[in-house]
Amino acid sequence: MRAWKLRPARDLGLPEPERWRSLARERGLVALAANAAWRRLLRGYLALFHRLEVEGRERLPPPPFVLIANHASHLDALVLAAALRGEAGRRAHALAAGEVFFGSGAGALFSAYAVNALPVWRGRTRKGDIATLRERLVEDGLVFILFPEGTRSRTGEMGPFQPGLATLLAGTSVPVVPCRIEGAFACWPAQRRLPRPGKLRLRIGEALRFPQGTTRAEVTEACRAAVSGLQRSRG
Amino acid sequence: MTAFAHPVTVWILAATVAAVAGAAAVIGALSLSGRAAPALRRELWLRLGSWCVLLPLMLGPVLLGREWTIGAVTLLGLLCYREYARATGLFRERTLSAVVVLGILLVNFAALDHWYGFFVALWPLTVSLIAVASIPLDRPEGYVQRVGLAVLGFMLFGAGLAHLGYMANDPGYRPVVLLLLTAVALNDVAAFTVGKTLGGPKLLPATSPNKTLSGALGAVAVTGGVVALVGSSIFGGTAMGSALWLILFGVLVSVAGQAGDLMLSSIKRDIGIKDMGVVLPGHGGILDRFNSLLLVAPAAFHFILYFVGFGLSGPVRLITGGP
Repeated sequence: MRAWKLRPARDLGLPEPERWRSLARERGLVALAANAAWRRLLRGYLALFHRLEVEGRERLPPPPFVLIANHASHLDALVLAAALRGEAGRRAHALAAGEVFFGSGAGALFSAYAVNALPVWRGRTRKGDIATLRERLVEDGLVFILFPEGTRSRTGEMGPFQPGLATLLAGTSVPVVPCRIEGAFACWPAQRRLPRPGKLRLRIGEALRFPQGTTRAEVTEACRAAVSGLQRSRG
Repeated sequence: MTAFAHPVTVWILAATVAAVAGAAAVIGALSLSGRAAPALRRELWLRLGSWCVLLPLMLGPVLLGREWTIGAVTLLGLLCYREYARATGLFRERTLSAVVVLGILLVNFAALDHWYGFFVALWPLTVSLIAVASIPLDRPEGYVQRVGLAVLGFMLFGAGLAHLGYMANDPGYRPVVLLLLTAVALNDVAAFTVGKTLGGPKLLPATSPNKTLSGALGAVAVTGGVVALVGSSIFGGTAMGSALWLILFGVLVSVAGQAGDLMLSSIKRDIGIKDMGVVLPGHGGILDRFNSLLLVAPAAFHFILYFVGFGLSGPVRLITGGP
C-alpha cells in the first residue's frame, strides 16, 4: 500500500463569489451535474436548430489537450463544448473573457457552474495566471477550449493568432487539437443580438505535438496553419 | 402551542436569548471601555453576528417540527461532507463521493420514514457499496485511501449525524434535541472560559495547542452538571431518571463533544489546514462549528434509546408503509 496523500481542493478557503472567478476552482458533484445538464441542453439545441455535424471526433487524444478553433461567433464555444464526450467533456474548461462572462455575480455563477469556464482578463492577465493554467492543464489533466484569435472575427475571416497559446504550452508536451467551425458566423455574427438557425459544421484535425525547443512563433504559426488547413475546399 | 409544550423547551430558548444578550452586553462594554484590542473586538462581534444567524437556523427547525428537523440535519450532513471532501481531496473521486451523498440522503430518508430497521441496515450496506463502487474503475492505486475517507465521511456526516434527526420521531423530541444543540455550545464556552481562567498544562498540544486539561475537566463539570440538571426535568420518572444515569449522560455529552472537536482538529492537522471553510465569519467552516455534534448525536441517541427509546409508541414507516 502506498502512503496516503491528502490533497485539498486547490480553491480551499476561498469565499464563494471569489471561488467562481478563481483559476484554482475545482468542481464537486453539484457543478459536475450542472455542467452535464448544460452540455446536454447544448447538444439538443445544436442538433435541432443547427443540425451540427462533427467530423473527426476519433482524432481526439486522451486528456490533457488544448482544443483550438477559428472564432467568429458565440456559437463556437458551444459547438466545441458539445462536441466533447465522456471524460474529455467532463474535464473541458473554456477559457473565456472575464469581462463578458464573469462580470456580474450571476454571470460568474453560471459561467463557473454550468459552462465550466475559467476567466481570462483582457489586458491584465498576469504571468502567474498563465502559469496556474499550465499547471492545472498538466497536473489535473484538463482540456482547455480556447480561441487563439482572442476575439470574435467581425468579418468571418480568421484573424492573426495571439501568442498566449504558445506561452500556455511552453515547456509542456500537451497536444493541441485544431478545429474548424463553419457556419457559425452566418448564424450568429458579433453584430447580431441573438442567433438564427442554420447549418453548423465542425471538423476536428490531427493533434499537433511540439517537440522541446520549438519557438513560440513556430507554435503559433503551426496552430494557425493547421486551423486554416481544415477549411473545406470550396467548389 | 405544542412546540412550547415542554417547560424545558422554553427554558432553553430563554437561556439562549439571555446568553446572546449577555454576550452582546459584555462585548459592548469591552468595546466602549477600550480594554480589548480592536482586532479582538472585531473578532468577537463577528462571532456573535454569526451566532445570531446560526441560532435561528439551528433552533428554528427543531421548533417547527419533525420534518423540518430531519431536513435541517440532512442539509447539515451534506454541507459538512462537502467541506470534508474538499479538504481531504475525496471530492475528486466522483463515484465514491456520489455514493456517500446517496448514503447520507438515504439514512436521513430512513429517519424521515421512521423505519429503524432500514436506518440501521444502511450503515453496513452503504459501507459495502463504498467498498465496491470504485472497483469497476480498475484503478487499484489509492483504493484504501479513497475507501477509508469515504467510509469515515459517511459514518460521521450520514450515519452518525442522522441520529439527531431520528430523535424527532419521538413526540417529545424538542427539549432533548435543543438540550444537545445548546449543551455542545455550552461545552465549548465552558472549556474556553475555564481553561483561560485556570490555565495549567495543555491537553493535547500537538493536536490542538490552545486546549488545556483544566478547560476539558471544567467543561465536563459544567456541561455534565447542566445536562444532568435539565435532563432530570426531561427524563424524570423514566428508567433514566436516577441521578447516576443523568450525571453519566451529562458527562457523555461533554466528553463526546470534546472528542468530536479533537477529531476535527486531528483531521485538520493531518491535512495541514487551519479552518475547514470560510462560510461562518469568526468560526471558519460549517464543520468548525458543528464538529462537537458529530459524536454527541449517536452517543446520546443510543444512551437514551437504551433507557427510554424514541417514539416507540408512534406510527412507523410513514412513507414506505409496509409492516
